[in-house]
Order: sequence, then C-alpha cells, then structure tokens
Amino acid sequence: MATQETTNDRIALMQGTLDLLILKTLLLGPCHGQGVARSIQRQSEEVFLVDHGSLYVALQRLEDKKWITAKWGVSENNRKARFYSLTTKGREQLVEKMSEWQRLTRAMGLILEPATGKA
Amino acid sequence: MFKRKRSAQDFSEEIQAHLELEAEELRREGLSEVGARRKARHEFGNIPAAQEHFYLKSRWAPLDRFLRDIKFASRSLLHSPGFAVTAILTLALGIGANTAVFSVMNAVVLRALPVADPDRLVYLRTTDPPAGAAYIDSNETFSYAVYNALRRQGRGLSPVMAYVPLGGKVAVRYGGASPEEAEGDMVSGTFFSGLGVNLIRGRGFSEQDETNHAPIGVISFNYWTRRFARNPGVLGATLYVNGVAITIVGVAAEGFEGLEGANSTDFWIPLQNRPELNAWGNPAVDGKTFAASDSTWWCLRLIARLAPGATRAQAVAQLQTVFQGAAFTGLGTPKAGEKPPILSVVDAKNFSGYDERYGNPLRILMAMVGLVLLIAMTNVVMLLMARNAARQREFSVRMALGAGRGELLRQLLAESLILVSIGGVLAWGFAVMATRLLAGWAQIESSLAPDRTVLLFTLVVLVFAALLFSLAPMRVALAGGAELALRTSAAASNADAGKSRTSKIIVASQMALCVVLLVAGALLIRTLRNLENTPLGMKVDGLVVFGVQPNIAAVPEGKAFYRNLMDKLRALPGVESVSVMDTRIGSGWSNNADMTVDGKLPEETNGMARTVRSNVVGPAFFRTLDVPILAGRDFNDSDTATSPHVGIINEQFARRFFPDQNPLGHLIGTDDGRYQMMVVGIVKDHKYRSIDEDPIPMAWFMYAQIPITGGMDVEMRVHGDPLAILPSARNVVQQMNPNLPLINPMTQRAQYDMTISSQLLFARLAGFFGFLAVVLVATGLYGSLSYRVNMRTAEIGVRMAVGARRGQVVWMILRDSLLLTTVGVVIGIPLAMFVGRALESSLYGVKPLDTVSYLLAVIGVAIVALVASAVPAARAASVDPMTALRTD
Repeated sequence: MATQETTNDRIALMQGTLDLLILKTLLLGPCHGQGVARSIQRQSEEVFLVDHGSLYVALQRLEDKKWITAKWGVSENNRKARFYSLTTKGREQLVEKMSEWQRLTRAMGLILEPATGKA
Repeated sequence: MFKRKRSAQDFSEEIQAHLELEAEELRREGLSEVGARRKARHEFGNIPAAQEHFYLKSRWAPLDRFLRDIKFASRSLLHSPGFAVTAILTLALGIGANTAVFSVMNAVVLRALPVADPDRLVYLRTTDPPAGAAYIDSNETFSYAVYNALRRQGRGLSPVMAYVPLGGKVAVRYGGASPEEAEGDMVSGTFFSGLGVNLIRGRGFSEQDETNHAPIGVISFNYWTRRFARNPGVLGATLYVNGVAITIVGVAAEGFEGLEGANSTDFWIPLQNRPELNAWGNPAVDGKTFAASDSTWWCLRLIARLAPGATRAQAVAQLQTVFQGAAFTGLGTPKAGEKPPILSVVDAKNFSGYDERYGNPLRILMAMVGLVLLIAMTNVVMLLMARNAARQREFSVRMALGAGRGELLRQLLAESLILVSIGGVLAWGFAVMATRLLAGWAQIESSLAPDRTVLLFTLVVLVFAALLFSLAPMRVALAGGAELALRTSAAASNADAGKSRTSKIIVASQMALCVVLLVAGALLIRTLRNLENTPLGMKVDGLVVFGVQPNIAAVPEGKAFYRNLMDKLRALPGVESVSVMDTRIGSGWSNNADMTVDGKLPEETNGMARTVRSNVVGPAFFRTLDVPILAGRDFNDSDTATSPHVGIINEQFARRFFPDQNPLGHLIGTDDGRYQMMVVGIVKDHKYRSIDEDPIPMAWFMYAQIPITGGMDVEMRVHGDPLAILPSARNVVQQMNPNLPLINPMTQRAQYDMTISSQLLFARLAGFFGFLAVVLVATGLYGSLSYRVNMRTAEIGVRMAVGARRGQVVWMILRDSLLLTTVGVVIGIPLAMFVGRALESSLYGVKPLDTVSYLLAVIGVAIVALVASAVPAARAASVDPMTALRTD
C-alpha cells in the first residue's frame, strides 16, 4: 500500500519538537489545525509525519498555556475551522525555544560530526 | 484546575472540521470522494484516543475518579436511607458529645493562659500562713508585706505580680447611667507588661501607677464590646468604681479575661490604698486596707515570671529566706516551735483553680463520652457489616464482572467517607450548641468556643472512623468471592458462622460498656438527688438576698445606714422580715478563726481543730432564715453598741466547747482578745457555706456591736415571689445613695444551688451520656438482631414447617440476646466497680458500690435487650413458613 511506503522514509517527531514547529508555523499568521499539519509536512519536505491526533492535543496544550489563542472562523474555501494565532507570550517562547534548539543541534553536531569524521 | 472553557463537544467539532478540510484538499489532489474521506481519517490516526486525551487532560483524573466514586456511593446509600440516617445520627451524637466535652476540657484544663511565654509563668503557693494571720486561701494568698518583699528582690522571680478582686461584683457607674455591677481586679503595675498581655487601645500600667495608686483602669475587650459597643471614645472616660473616679486608659487584647478562672474580669486598676477599694470588698479594719505595711491579711494572689536563666528550684531557694522573714510582718516573732510557712511555685500555664475544680469531673466525662463514641462506632461497624453481608451478592456480581478488590475498597471508602463527613458536620453543629449549654450550666464565663485544637481532635476522630468503617466491613464484603454470584440460595450463602461470632462479641461488649455507663450515671444521679434534697436547716423558700457596698468612713455612720436601710425595707408591702449579714450565706465563703472560750483558747485535744466560723449579722437574723433557736434568743434591736456584747452559737459549737454545760451566759471572744461576747442563744445546725458541707462550730455576732463600715448582704423574707420585691428594694437603696446598685441579687435558694452547680452539671451530663449509651446500644442491638432474624428467615420457615410453634421461635431469638446480655453484664459489673471507685470523690451520700445503682443498671440493660429483641422476635414468629421457604 502507498501509505506503507511513505511511512518508511518519514520520521516520527521527537518529543517536544512539535510545540516548536507549531509555534514557528503560526509565526507566519493565524492558521487552522489542518493547515498547520500540512505546512509542517510540506516545509519538512514530507519528512516529518505529523500524527493529527497528537497535533490537536498539542494545540490544546499550547492554548492552555496561553501561548496561542484560538477562535472559530471560516477557511479560504469557506469551511468552518478553528484558527490559532500566536500570543505575545507565545512569541517570547518561540524565540527562547528556537535558541534552545539551536544550542542543542550545535552540541549534537559537535559530538556526532567529529566522530563520523574519525571513523 | 478544571475550569476548562472548552467543551469536549467543541473539540470533536474541530476534529470534524479538520477531516473535511483534509478530505477536500485530498480531493483537489485527485482522490475520489470516498478515497479522500478514508485517507483523511486514516492520516488522522486514533480519533477516540485524541478525544480521550483531551477529556483526561481537562481534568485532574484522581479527582474525577473520586467524584465518580462519591456519586456511586451516595446512590447506593440512598437505596437504604434507614441505614444511612441511623449511621449518620449515631456518628453525629457520638462524635458531637466527644467534641463538646473535649472543647470544654481544652478550654478549662489544656488551653494555656493567653499570655506571652506561659511556660515561664508560675503561681506562688505557700504552706499555711503564720498563726494570727487572716487569709483568703490557706495556700494561694499572701500578705502585702510578702508581695512587697518578693518583688523588691528582683532575682529568681521577676517580676512578681499581685492581683486581687475588688470583691465578687462591685458597683460601677458610667456617664449618666444608673449604677451597675462589674468584676474588677486590683493588680501590680507590672501586671500587663509582666504577663505579656497586649493593649489594643491605650496603655497598661507602670510601676509608677502602682506606687501612686493612680486612679486609672484598663477594661477587658469583652467588657469594651459588651458595655461600650467598642466605642474608641471610652479612653479618657470616667468609671465610678464604688464611687471612686477611675479614668479608663486602655483596652486589653481580645481573649484576655484576667486570671480569676471561671469569672471573667471586666476591668483592672492598680493596687489601691483607699478603704472604698479594699481587697475582696472587705471593710478596712481600723482604717487600714490590705496594703497597709503592717497588714496581716493574706489576701493577694501572686503570679510571677521566672527570672531569665533561673529554674523553679533556684528561684524558690533564692527567695525562701526573704519570704519567711516577710511572712511575720505585723505578727511579732514566731512563737516557739512554730514552723515558718514554706514558699513554692506551680505551673501557671492554665487558670488557677480550674483544674482542681473541673479537671477530674471533666476527665471522667471525657472517658464516658469516649465509651459512648466506642459504642457508636461499633454500632456503625455492625450496621455496615450487616449491610455488606446482605450485599455480598452485589459484590460478587461486580467481581465476576471484573471489578478488582481495589475498586470495591474504593467504593466502601467512598461510602464511609460520605457517612463520616455528614456525621462530622452534624456533630460539629451539635458540639457548638452543647458547648454553649455547658458553659451556661457550669457558669464558666471565659470562652469555651471550639478552637483549632478541638477541630484537629474532631478531624482525627473522623478520619479514624472513616478508615475503620471502610476496612472493618471489607472482610465480610469480599468473603463471598466471585463464585458466590453463581450460588442462589439465601440459606446456603449466609450460613457462615464466623461473622455472626464477631457480631456476638461486639454486642456483648457493647452491653458491658452500657452497664458501666449506666452505673456511673446512676451513681451521679443519686448524688444529684441527695444534694437537691439535702435539708438546709432553714426555710429557704421566700428568701431573697442582695449586697450593698456603701461608702462609709465612720463606724456610727455605718450602723445608722444599715439601721435605716432595714427599717425602710421592713416597711415595704409584702415583706415579712429583714436582716443583714457580713458574709452572704451559701456563697461558699466563710470567716474562719480561732476563738477564746471564757477567756482562753480551747485545747486542741485529740486532734480536734478549734477553728470556728463566724459571721456578723443583724437583728432577727435567725427569725428571717427560720432557723430554730434551741435555747436563749435571737439578736434584736435592743442589742446596741452600748449594751453588753452578745453572741449566738450553733449546736456544734456548744457540743465542742461546752460539753455537759449550759453555754448560755458564758463568754466567747476573738483570738486577739479585743471582743468578748456573752452567749445568749443556741441555734440548730444548718448549712452555711454550701449544700455539701458538714457542719462545724459557728458563732454569730451582732453588727451593731462590731465596728463594720463596708458592704453587707441584705436577707429579706417576703410573701409571694421573692424576686418581685427587688425593684422596690432597689428604689429604697437608691433613695439612700444613688451610687449603689443591688449586688448579685438572687433568691437564697439560687445562691445555695450555685454551690452545687458543678456537681449538678456533672451529674446531669453523666446521666445524659448514660442515657445516650442506652439508646445507642438499643439501636445497635435492634439492628444486629433484626439482621440476624432476616438471615434466618429460611431456617425459621423450615422449623415452622416441621412443627415448631411460634413460642419456640420467639424464645430462640430472645434466648440469643438474653445470653449476650448476661455475658455483657458479667463483664460490665467489675468494670463498673472500677469506674465507681474513680468517681468516689464526686459522689455525695452514695457509696461507689451502691447496690441500687448496680441493680438499676442491670435492669436497664435487660430492658434494652428485651425491647430491642422483641420486634425482631415478633417478626420471626409471624413468618409464614411457605413464604419463607420460597424466599429465594
């Protein structure tokens, strides 16, 4: 089946990275859940597999933390959808999480790259 | 925490919207309608999982589960309202009684004085004061000289503070209002600072104020609230105390009501030296107040703070010599062989005298209510076990359907939690009410309101109860196991012998506890009867008494005042007879001293004391009281300052000091030799200080022949309601002096009853708790018996079907409970004997092994057993064999 093939070259998201991706996506402007999922998939060149169920739970979690707000609206193709947008607090969090992530990837790179170089 | 604004519904709608958006996009990418829908759904993953996640996220899961348990448990309790109500009421009564008694005990015995660092405070005590000294209390009061010497030392104890009442209640006038009465103490200048009591308004006293005898006063928060409606303008206002102007300078912190124990103090003034403000309301003797440097009157109570670093032993050792030196001030050198008094100190964490007076009765009451609680709890446990045994099938079905033991335990916990919380709330209300009643009866004015300690106590009891009620019946509940659901016969499923043995043990021990409580109750109620029916030796009905406290400087003026007062009162309509007395009878006070007989102090042969009580009274005193005069005559108006001094004695006096002689015509005198009185009358022994006293030798003197200038009490015998005369009596008094209120007006009967008020209270409470125990045991017994009869319905049916007569069936049931009663009584009697011995000091006219009380208790328990078994037995007998057999 087609789906089985695709799952093979997709990577399940690491714990905690989904929040960062959602916030980053919403930086471009308000968006509904389905749009966020699509956007993450597309921007990662279809590498990330976004479990839609987890996405909505994550959205709810961010909303509870008041990093994003939501309200019902109408989509570009005239369908009812719940639109999420970043709050000021969410913006601050995004900056913080991004620098955190960059430090993490740099550190990972420092460890992983020389090792591969030697091998 | 669970105030999520978003509903699960909204979340589902969002998922739905997502699926549609996704499907539409997929369609646009070229999938078929059906394919797009399926793929959208597939990509979403587990929809119910997301929804459940949302649901769980939105609540605090344990709380949610807890609420569900509670809901389920309350539904199940509502199915058996009779059980629930019985259990809750039983708990409310049992726990409420405990909380009430505990809160009184807490306030009276356990609670510390509301002062700073109470652990370093001590009351000063002494052995008997030196011979020749007058005293209020032989161990607790000191002379002014002793106080002065101790406080000047400044080591060991620092500061040493004195406090002394101005007299039970004193006349107080404020603004233009008519005179009132209030309770006031004279205290050291260091009183507030030394105790560490804060002033919420104004200031306290300084040592300067004490030295100058400053006419200033501090009022209690309570008095400020009650009398002045918390008016801040009261500072600087003038309060006339016995006619002396006192400026109010401060209000003491809330909760501090003085050190006088049961009586709350309304105001404090520095120690004074004016005759109007003498200690204990006594007249100044020869113009000297208690504070005269050579006063030999031991009237001050002393409290002190241990000096920093000093232990009690060190403090006492440092001050002993100084104390013993000062003790003989004004008394000359100690007589040969006389032992000097010895100073000691005791804990001052609590109110002085509270523990002595209420401690023991309260501890016994606490034990009694503890037993009541034990009975109540076992009752509820029995009820629960009976109920759960009947629910075995329900539990089995639930277990067969997959419920774990944990789930069942949670359900039982939830049920007991509901019972205990409702019971606890009711108990608290009941306790608050009961405490108020208790305070009224015991005449304790200080606050008894339950505080945090009491709340903690109640909560501990409740938690214990909740655990007990869920764990104890667990065994029964689970005994069936899942397979029981498959069995159907009641006869088969409930034939376990083990659990009925448990309930038999419980019933028998309840019976035993019931016997103990009933014996205690009966002993105390018989005490009460004895006290109430004690003959006083006078006709007390129709007597009314009140005090007056006139400001009189000279002796002749005082005599004229009382002469005049009695004449005016006698003229009032309905008044039969009027007299006056120095010490009010039935007030618990007496004037005790040695007396000379025919000029010499009598020998103290065979260890017989020569102490004599005396009182100074007016003309027609014994006629007013209606005390029979056995020989000679009463005092009368012709006994004056110039006529020969006369005295009257009682039978005890005559028997003790004039054996085999006619006392009339002999001389009796005060031990200092100042007054000699000729005995002119002998009266029958009668109760003097209190109802429960034994008579001792007494002598009475005529007021007109003794220099008295202070307050006296007026005794009036009237026709009709004694209290109805008070308004006109008040008019008479205030016409003579508008500053004078009637002090403590009451019937003489009420005055005597006050002397046994704590015994009355104790006996009534004990009786009440005994009765409560009986009711609880009866309901418990009824519950468990009718449960057992229900369980045996099938068996009874079989018996009757094979020819048993109704009588035999009834007997079978009754025999059961009678056997349990016998066992209970056999265990209970020795326990009751033990308790009776503990009660001995509280009994009056009853022995701890009073047969009647024991018989009454046994009969009581037997009646309870019979009544509680009669209904189930009758029900058993009316079982129709055919129905019984078809029960399953």
